Amino acid sequence: MTTADASHGDDHVPASTAQPFPRIELRFGHPSRGYDPGEWVTVEYCIEGLNGERPRALERSALWYTEGKGEEDLGVHSFERFATADTIDRVVPEGTFAIQLPTSPLSYEGVIVKIRWCIRLRVFFELGRDHVSEHVFNVGRVPPSILP
Amino acid sequence: MRFPRFFTKKRGHRRTDSHAWGSFAEGFFYALLFGAGVVFGLLLVTGAVSYAPADPDSVVLQRGYEWWMWLLTLLIPVALLAFGGSGLARVVRTWGKSQEHRAAASRTVILQGLAGASPAAGHPGVPSCDNLENSPGIVLRYRLPLESPENWTLVGFGLFALLWNAVVVVLAVGVGADLIGGTTDWLLIGLLVPFVAVGVGGVVLFVRATVLSTSVGPTHVEISDHPLVPGMSYDVRLGQGGAHLFRSIDLGLELEETATFRQGTDTRTQRLVVRRVPVSRWQRVQPVPGGSFEARVSVTIPADAMHSFSSENNAVQWRIVVRALPDRWPEFTRVFPVVVLPVKALVTTAISETVEALE
Repeated sequence: MTTADASHGDDHVPASTAQPFPRIELRFGHPSRGYDPGEWVTVEYCIEGLNGERPRALERSALWYTEGKGEEDLGVHSFERFATADTIDRVVPEGTFAIQLPTSPLSYEGVIVKIRWCIRLRVFFELGRDHVSEHVFNVGRVPPSILP
Repeated sequence: MRFPRFFTKKRGHRRTDSHAWGSFAEGFFYALLFGAGVVFGLLLVTGAVSYAPADPDSVVLQRGYEWWMWLLTLLIPVALLAFGGSGLARVVRTWGKSQEHRAAASRTVILQGLAGASPAAGHPGVPSCDNLENSPGIVLRYRLPLESPENWTLVGFGLFALLWNAVVVVLAVGVGADLIGGTTDWLLIGLLVPFVAVGVGGVVLFVRATVLSTSVGPTHVEISDHPLVPGMSYDVRLGQGGAHLFRSIDLGLELEETATFRQGTDTRTQRLVVRRVPVSRWQRVQPVPGGSFEARVSVTIPADAMHSFSSENNAVQWRIVVRALPDRWPEFTRVFPVVVLPVKALVTTAISETVEALE
């Protein structure tokens, strides 16, 4: 079972409260969450509410995905998985990491096609339960498209 | 132990089915196919169904199959085994892996080029320029390839007219044979009349589209450089053939979004022009007899332009568009795709090229 929370701005919105899932606070190096292509993105995160439960694995990824009318496309730029006991202890409950952005694609707010960049943290627990936290940021400065 | 939920959240308020149950159902489906292949294959190979259909009391000790007959007989079980086995292997390989893990492992990002499969070198998500730069221009550096929706309309009309009239011919032969034989099937004749009418209409549409596409003459566009960069200007040379007077010819830039989505079993594609940049307009143009109208203009890519983007189901494409209105013919549009790079990407590339040149 997967639960999710998402942060597209400063607000942190837990999606599920039916079960005590963790809460992931993530802070970008740039408070505005705006980056230029090729720039380094530094991230600090903190996982709260584990209640003593030790995660089985943690995945950290930087990726873009499309939104809009079409089927979702996804491109993973950076992916790290920590699944052994000693590596888990290094990245849970808090950690930092940095990734260098590629030259493209840039974030885009089109009419039927949108491109979003995000950092995803996915925590895996025993019995197959996992929790994903997504934090959107902008790459480039392309203005939104408006119908002519 | 807690079972996975059937429905989970995908993003925002949308709900979707559970990945775990989906993977389980998919694996079960492929396992069934694989099992069916194994059972059918074993039945055929071990001869469990060997009896003479004409004489069920006789046991067949040796069947008279030729090698090709064996191949034909085993075709279905082998197909089931291959399809079920590969699907099952894929489900097992991706079982329990997150969406990001699967994409990172297999690199199923699938960045399809505008006209080729590979993205522009060093620019993920930007389509390939290869097919746009393989034709040199007469005056300028590149002659851009035409992507005309009218050509596809012409092909569509032609195929429809051909297939429909093939059906009409079959019906007409049946009616003719009946008449020669001295019988009159009024139902068949009644059916033939609307079929002939639609067939004639299809031919007329095809001929009209052919005349339209050939009478107005070809359109050529050349450009001084490619790929394009936001904020930069490029020389564009337009050549429009034809013996008619054109009431107007417009040349401009357009940004088009393309989204492919599935509705049930159908796959649909929606296209939407989200930005138009007029470049030049000519009125009452009369091409030189035996030649063509030619003009050279400067095209500037807007500094804040989105770069070209292409993935499996979504695309953002820039194109040079020529719209012409001939004096006695309907308006036509001709489209010449171009690739626009991200502005920062080019700066980075230019710096690295300069460093390489200095070294």
